[in-house]
Amino acid sequence: MSSSSDEEEVYQFYRDRAEWSDVKPIPQDDGASPVVQIAYSDKFKDAFDYFRAILHTNEKSERALELTQTAISLNPANYTVWQFRRVILQHLKKDISEEMNYLSKIIKEQPKNYQVWHHRRALVEWSRDSSKELEFTEKIIKLDQKNYHAWQHRQWVIQEFKLWDNELTFVDSLLEQDLRNNSAWNERYFIIENTTGFTDQVVNSEIQYAISKIDIATKNESAWSYLRGVLGDRSLTWSKELRDQVTAWRNDGLKSPYLVAILIDFYEEDLENKKCNVGETLGKVKELCNELANETDTIRRKYWKYVLHRLIKEYQENEP
Amino acid sequence: TGMENTFERKKHIRFFTRILQILPSRYAILDTSRLTVAFFALSGLGVLDALDAIPDKDKQEIIEWIYTLQVVGNKASDMETTNNYDCSHIAMTYTGLASLLILGDDLRRVNKHACLEGIKALQLPDGSFKSSYDGSENDMRFIYCACCVCTMLDDFSAINQATATNFIMKSLCHDGAFGQGPGHESHGGSTYCACASLQLMGRLTTTLSPKQLKRLEYWCISRQRNGFNGRPHKDDDTCYSFWVGASLKILGIFDLVDFKENENFVLSTQDIIVGGFAKWPQINPGNIFAADALHSYMGVCGLALMSLHSLQPVDPTLNISERARLHMQTLHE
Repeated sequence: MSSSSDEEEVYQFYRDRAEWSDVKPIPQDDGASPVVQIAYSDKFKDAFDYFRAILHTNEKSERALELTQTAISLNPANYTVWQFRRVILQHLKKDISEEMNYLSKIIKEQPKNYQVWHHRRALVEWSRDSSKELEFTEKIIKLDQKNYHAWQHRQWVIQEFKLWDNELTFVDSLLEQDLRNNSAWNERYFIIENTTGFTDQVVNSEIQYAISKIDIATKNESAWSYLRGVLGDRSLTWSKELRDQVTAWRNDGLKSPYLVAILIDFYEEDLENKKCNVGETLGKVKELCNELANETDTIRRKYWKYVLHRLIKEYQENEP
Repeated sequence: TGMENTFERKKHIRFFTRILQILPSRYAILDTSRLTVAFFALSGLGVLDALDAIPDKDKQEIIEWIYTLQVVGNKASDMETTNNYDCSHIAMTYTGLASLLILGDDLRRVNKHACLEGIKALQLPDGSFKSSYDGSENDMRFIYCACCVCTMLDDFSAINQATATNFIMKSLCHDGAFGQGPGHESHGGSTYCACASLQLMGRLTTTLSPKQLKRLEYWCISRQRNGFNGRPHKDDDTCYSFWVGASLKILGIFDLVDFKENENFVLSTQDIIVGGFAKWPQINPGNIFAADALHSYMGVCGLALMSLHSLQPVDPTLNISERARLHMQTLHE
């Protein structure tokens, strides 16, 4: 370690700081026989003894604000510290963009912490300034494409401030990188649901979209779920194009378990609608379930046998 | 690799008993959730059928410590508190009550009225719950905690089940499973919270249609690769053997899971040196993915769902042993 320069800061315990000498620290009252004790460091004990003190007197000063920063650095999950920090920020009418810069650094270090994201949302609600939010969540998502908190915050910002315009483009760019990014597929559904809605026309174009992506990667669960999902309450047989495509894929020899699963569902609808020969259809279903159970989706063999049994039980009994 | 996948029962018992005593300073980030950590250790020992590893005197001390955490007055009621910020946290209330039940306490010292008023004050107009009165995020986790608390206190009057159910259903995704809130991606954890909440409210099969139940079953069973993942195309993680496994149990189709692959995966995440389980397989000792309390508890429960290794059966809705649940039921009589 180099010798101290003028700029080097040496950490001072709060008990040694002259400007805190008027405050009586409050040690933790952990009861007579505490459980899951933590061997707190001296620094931790000192800071939180003083935090308990300012909480007790409800001190909303600059020095209290600084203390919350120390406390946060020691335990960023302490929701009471964050809450009190918000109280102080409001009381002192602090500059939110400055707070946001501080917060952004912490989120980058602790991107899966609930409290930091809640604090961010609170700041945005308070300032009504959403201008940095898409850029920021995009940064976090680039580091971890599926960070649930980032996506939650992003969705909230988009919905609250009506920032729908470029989101589909963003989703497309993510899917270019990784077609199996389930968060991106979910976002696509979210945008369309809240903008155009899933009108018949939109459903048809989204079916085409999903089909084009499935053509690239036929075992992509996200794309297949999306395909079913856009139909909403409509039956599978509502879309003739879908049935034709599924049949064509099958005729091409495609054995993706998701393709076969949707085929089974088509047959189930046929049985429900009484639009087929029961014996013949159940025979096809049996063939497909066996393919899944024995060949292409063996980890779920018990499930596929259960699906077959369920259908046989429901429809074969009604056979004369 | 020559790695043996034996169930390290004794090491797990030691792992949990150590946690109940003291954690190193680097666990300071768990400072505000110590009660949940205590729950993982206590319930873990319960499922291991090893609560006798805790001497009776210590059990009593743990019960006392939990009661010192009871907040009888808070901003939702008129009673005094030590400071303005001494308010309860819904997850601590759930795990505190659960821990008391696991230790055989009769809950007589629980101020049931204050507790339920506290829960009531956390429900939002959209039906979801925040975790503490001063404000926090709100999502599916806390609906689950609320339903557990009501179940344990045998009183659902404090919560609005209709709006809670409404929030749950609004969180049903296009792929048939549940996200943390409306529009959010479906996820194994939130799916568990949704299923368990509906089941605890007695509304699972009356709220979800047969078609919806089928899609939910398919999504859950599709989470198994070897163990389970929490979202499509993510890696298997030990805790989902419980979150998704228990969801399948609630849906009535857990027996369709490939037990062997699930067991192999969970056992591969054991830390064979210190005990406990990590989220991912231990490729070499001193792996950076260290065993932690949550994954250790979920690993044990994931195995218990399959009735393996002489583990105690687990109630999939309250996430405590059946034995603890039976004790709870005797208190309600």
